[in-house]
Amino acid sequence: MFCRIELATRPEFADPASDLLLRRLQLAHPEIAKCVRWMRVLPIAWVELPSSREEMIPAVVEIFWDRVLGWVFTGNLIPSAAGKHGGILDVMTGAPHRPGKFWALERRFRPGVTDTVARTTLEAFEIVLGRKLSDARAASGTLLLLEGPQLTEEMLARIARDILCNELIETWTLVSEQELQRNDRFHAERVKRDLPKVLTRGSAEIQHVSLEGVSDAQLERLSREKVWALSVPELRAIREHFSNAKVQDARKAKGLSTPTDVEIEVLAQTWSEHCKHKIFNAKIRYFEDTKAKAEWARDVAIPKVINSLFDQTIVGTTELLPKNWLISVFKDNAGIIAFDEEDAICLKVETHNTPSALDPYGGALTGIVGVNRDILGCGLGAKPIFNTDVFCVAPLDYQGVIPERLMHPRRILDGIRRGVEDGGNQSGIPTINGALVFDERYLGKPLVFVGSGGILPRVIEGRRTEVKEIRPGDRVCMVGGRIGKDGIHGATFSSLALDELSPLSAVQLGDPLTQKRMSDFLLEARDLGLIRCLTDNGAGGLSSSVGEMARFCGEKGGARVDVSLAKTKYPGLKPFELVVSESQERMTVAVSPDALPLFTTLADRRGVEVSDLGEFVDSGMFEILVEGKMVAALDLKFLHEGLPQLEMEGEWPGVVDPPKGISTRRFEFEAADALLSLLGSPNIASKEWMIRQYDHEVQGMSVIKPLHTVFTAHGANSGPNDAAVIKPKTNSSAGLAVGCGINPKLSDIDPFLMAQSAVDEAVRNVLCVGGEFGRPESVLALIDNFCWPDPQGDRLKTAWLVRACYGMQQAALALSAPLISGKDSMKNDFRGQCDGKPVTISVPPTLLITAIAKVRDVAQGRTADFKTPGDAIYLLGGKSFGLWGSEFERVQGVSQLPGFPRVGVPNWEEARRIYGWLGGEVGKEQSLLRSLHDVSDGGLLVAAVEGMLARGLGAYIKIPEATDAWEFCFGEGFHSFIATVADSDAEILEMELRQLGIPFKRLGSVTQREKLEVMWSPKEDQSVKSWSVPTKQLRVAWQKGGYWE
Amino acid sequence: MSDSKPRVLVLAGDGINCESETAHAFSLAGFMPQIRHINDLVSERVSLDQLSGTFSVLALPGGFSFADHLTSGKVLALKIQHQLGWNLGLFADRGGLVLGVCNGFQALIRMGTFGKEISITQNASGRFINAWTKVSPSGTRCVWLKGVGSMDLPIRHGEGRIVFDQTRKTEVWGKMVRLGRNCLTYEDNPNGSDESLAGLCDSSGRIFGLMPHPEAFVRWSSHPEWTLQAGRASAPGQGAQLFENAFQEVRRGSNI
Repeated sequence: MFCRIELATRPEFADPASDLLLRRLQLAHPEIAKCVRWMRVLPIAWVELPSSREEMIPAVVEIFWDRVLGWVFTGNLIPSAAGKHGGILDVMTGAPHRPGKFWALERRFRPGVTDTVARTTLEAFEIVLGRKLSDARAASGTLLLLEGPQLTEEMLARIARDILCNELIETWTLVSEQELQRNDRFHAERVKRDLPKVLTRGSAEIQHVSLEGVSDAQLERLSREKVWALSVPELRAIREHFSNAKVQDARKAKGLSTPTDVEIEVLAQTWSEHCKHKIFNAKIRYFEDTKAKAEWARDVAIPKVINSLFDQTIVGTTELLPKNWLISVFKDNAGIIAFDEEDAICLKVETHNTPSALDPYGGALTGIVGVNRDILGCGLGAKPIFNTDVFCVAPLDYQGVIPERLMHPRRILDGIRRGVEDGGNQSGIPTINGALVFDERYLGKPLVFVGSGGILPRVIEGRRTEVKEIRPGDRVCMVGGRIGKDGIHGATFSSLALDELSPLSAVQLGDPLTQKRMSDFLLEARDLGLIRCLTDNGAGGLSSSVGEMARFCGEKGGARVDVSLAKTKYPGLKPFELVVSESQERMTVAVSPDALPLFTTLADRRGVEVSDLGEFVDSGMFEILVEGKMVAALDLKFLHEGLPQLEMEGEWPGVVDPPKGISTRRFEFEAADALLSLLGSPNIASKEWMIRQYDHEVQGMSVIKPLHTVFTAHGANSGPNDAAVIKPKTNSSAGLAVGCGINPKLSDIDPFLMAQSAVDEAVRNVLCVGGEFGRPESVLALIDNFCWPDPQGDRLKTAWLVRACYGMQQAALALSAPLISGKDSMKNDFRGQCDGKPVTISVPPTLLITAIAKVRDVAQGRTADFKTPGDAIYLLGGKSFGLWGSEFERVQGVSQLPGFPRVGVPNWEEARRIYGWLGGEVGKEQSLLRSLHDVSDGGLLVAAVEGMLARGLGAYIKIPEATDAWEFCFGEGFHSFIATVADSDAEILEMELRQLGIPFKRLGSVTQREKLEVMWSPKEDQSVKSWSVPTKQLRVAWQKGGYWE
Repeated sequence: MSDSKPRVLVLAGDGINCESETAHAFSLAGFMPQIRHINDLVSERVSLDQLSGTFSVLALPGGFSFADHLTSGKVLALKIQHQLGWNLGLFADRGGLVLGVCNGFQALIRMGTFGKEISITQNASGRFINAWTKVSPSGTRCVWLKGVGSMDLPIRHGEGRIVFDQTRKTEVWGKMVRLGRNCLTYEDNPNGSDESLAGLCDSSGRIFGLMPHPEAFVRWSSHPEWTLQAGRASAPGQGAQLFENAFQEVRRGSNI
């Protein structure tokens, strides 16, 4: 029978869900929020079950009715569960103003969108009714009940579009008060109509795509229409391949002639920028005016012709840094490094920018569960043990016009934050590290970096787990979710700029529960020796996963699969859709025929679906069948190596001159305000509101958390830590430090310096918390994620990319930190309309470096908080601070820079000395450090304040003589830290630092006085001047209450 | 040797995710934990007799069973009730102990273990919270909390607000105090629970559920302020006492 179920909370209980919604409305449309006097959220379920009314009533009551909290409205089905008035009127009685003016907005998913709540609803009915319900259907939604006499239909539509729904995946209807009271919506016919049904008119027919005699212009149009994202030279290469006589003969024998749409689609996915990184592998001619050479790049000679930036500056860097702890780099889904003799650590950081621009929640959720699958598909399958997340968005108080099809940054951040929250929390994987970067240029495309780390036993049943090997005859199994139309063309689509024509099918919603079940099952199957090899189904779907894995089979590789055997969400998918769909929560697993029965039985017991699609072969061909009929036969060698190399040109005009500052700013009058506005800059201000909504401790490994916390009578006060430390094994005291570095603002000066800053900051962050450095066995590895404005056809953006790569390489080599994995995203531009005019918004060149280091014993872990009054405060390093390119410049404006602004520059030789000491290579007094914090965004005083906040302590800081006070306090640079030690240890420490040639300055001490006191002697006279700010005021500025959510 | 160790059944599957650290906390206290997938218990039709015969403790760990759909712990509770059919009260009467942490606690509440007049719902803030909080035992009923003082423990939940039937609030609270079920409270009610409740036990004191995670503080280095006393990093954490209490209780039971 059909049934609609509305769940209502009794009016005497608070309804936090509607409070949050109202808060979101206040932030987005304060003028509309004023007209809403009251609102309540009612979850809805629509179900169709093959069961009788008598059976249904007790089941609904048992599943849905919480007698303490609420009521269940079902029309006439279960009046006893519906309150005094038998329905929605009972909820309305809770509104403060009676008689009020009520409205409701009903939200539903569009047909075909993943509805995880609906799936659980059916499972609950199966549990309660005690049988499988194969013909049942369900959907979930919400009814938002609002009251306000001034509300207009127009306002309600704004609420629906901007707050309640994402119209790409959801629809809404406005329901008037009369309609609400009439109860029509519970009638079986209505429920039947409301249950979404996917109508597809596809067939098993394939289409043939003849490229013969087609003009270049036509090729280009074809590629655009079909969302192949293939260039004319690439299509020409494909045409040439298929017209080869030998290829034609072989195809004829298989019953094939002109290329099929399936074949071109497989090639398009495999050759997409997303999968093949064409720009990173391009041949680049680089021009640079040597007269304008930047001083910081003096030691690096960038070649005039670069044959693949990837080979030269990424793989090439790691090749120059042989380490015995590198197990597998650039080969697998993730980099693999040794943790100890028994276990390895796998690491990967992904970006999910385009999907997150269209549907922030779904995009980010899909991103996080996707990168966890990378770890699950790494080697023989690793267990994810931590996540990281870095978001770059436009400022939340952005007031300008939002171009069509884009969303306000507040909505973007709210969505991506919730996506990662649900993806990480529900998967039971702690989110241990991250960052948030604001810049208006991220309005066009937010950047969503999601990282995952896993643990992998190095040997399982005598097999080395990093080796990917398949034998001919092994079965090709698709495991986990089913295939639908969602996510078709994700890989090719993300290889294009975002514009008004972006396909809606590229949006998908992740399903953490299905993935958790699959992931538990795969790790169990792995330990039972049932898996030969596996990889995830991400970009490109089966075409990529099977196409990639086919290479590991025998000598020539190959696979033969019948995609009509794959389980689908609904019938009617076309063959090419089955092959390229990126429907989530799927892995492709090679299983030996002997192990197959055990594998499928176990899957069944774990509630995980398996489709046996075919076998791996050693024919050198990737063959795809539909219902036994061949629809694609691709030569693996051509598929993976036939892509013509891209050619690009880059030209660097040289560094512009630093801005001229105003020398009249008075430090004694303006510095305290400058510090407060820096602390309140969103790039620096507290991210506690966000961190606390992520589970950062599940799995019980947490040692250094994102925040250091102090318990007081009035709740916790927190300050930031530099990086996270986890202790991944219960039987080992060793730990892992995970940190990141990102500094896109330096790209405006030189992306070379930007990249070096990212490397330096990431390394400093892991050193702060206790990471090791400098010994041959010291594990320190980097992951690079480039997010660029499209450099193709743009000489400047190409030059930026080249410079960033060479800058990164020099820094990584200097610090002996190999790159082990990475990812690039090259199309971070928006082209659309704003106020009727065409507009292009491009992100600033952005490089995220994630660093991972081993901590020999977690007892050596360090946090950033000042511990005890009387402790001495030191600056380590800090020889080159500059205000140009600093957060100070961003906050105050370039015209407001005092003095003679310059940019902080690295000195890698000095860096090695400082880091070697901190990381335990030399010296022995590092253990005296009671706190350590890197000096980065905002400069030295911001770093000092961040140490003071949690414990409410004070600090006294004396600016050394003969330094520029502005530059010293607010300048940013490289290799610098604020450290504290017990005053009694100061002498021993200073002695060792002097011996080792580590630059340091004693700045002052931690005090009991709850304020920051800054002293200095101006150059012009010998007087001592000072100013101070209470710690409480600093904390209020840093928390930036009311800004976030 | 290991044969003589009391056994703990640690439930897993369907989105439960704290099974490993829960098992570890039990093994540190001297138990022999066994992580079992709920589907295996269902398909093996493990009866209450078998449960009592093999295991001294049943642990329902934290996690997101069924992704918290249809309210937290609900579908897991239905699955335990319908597909395993264990009467936990009877298990406790026979000397068994039950622990439900976070999502496991939510499932126990949905099963009516602590009375039908209470429920658990979204935090007052509407948001998931991961923070450390101070909790104090009250009363002497709960065997898990015997001799335990105030503790620092992390909470990590979106639905931790314990609520009473509002029409009979005083009566519900009175009964709860009389039966000694209100065994654990927050010092600064982070989720807005009625009476600041952080944990509950049944009338026997043997079935215990709580929102904070004791298994997440069995080593001092898990505490957010451990670097203040770096020498103490590897000392036991305050959550360990609960598991040790359970061990003592089981030992005592088997000696009688």
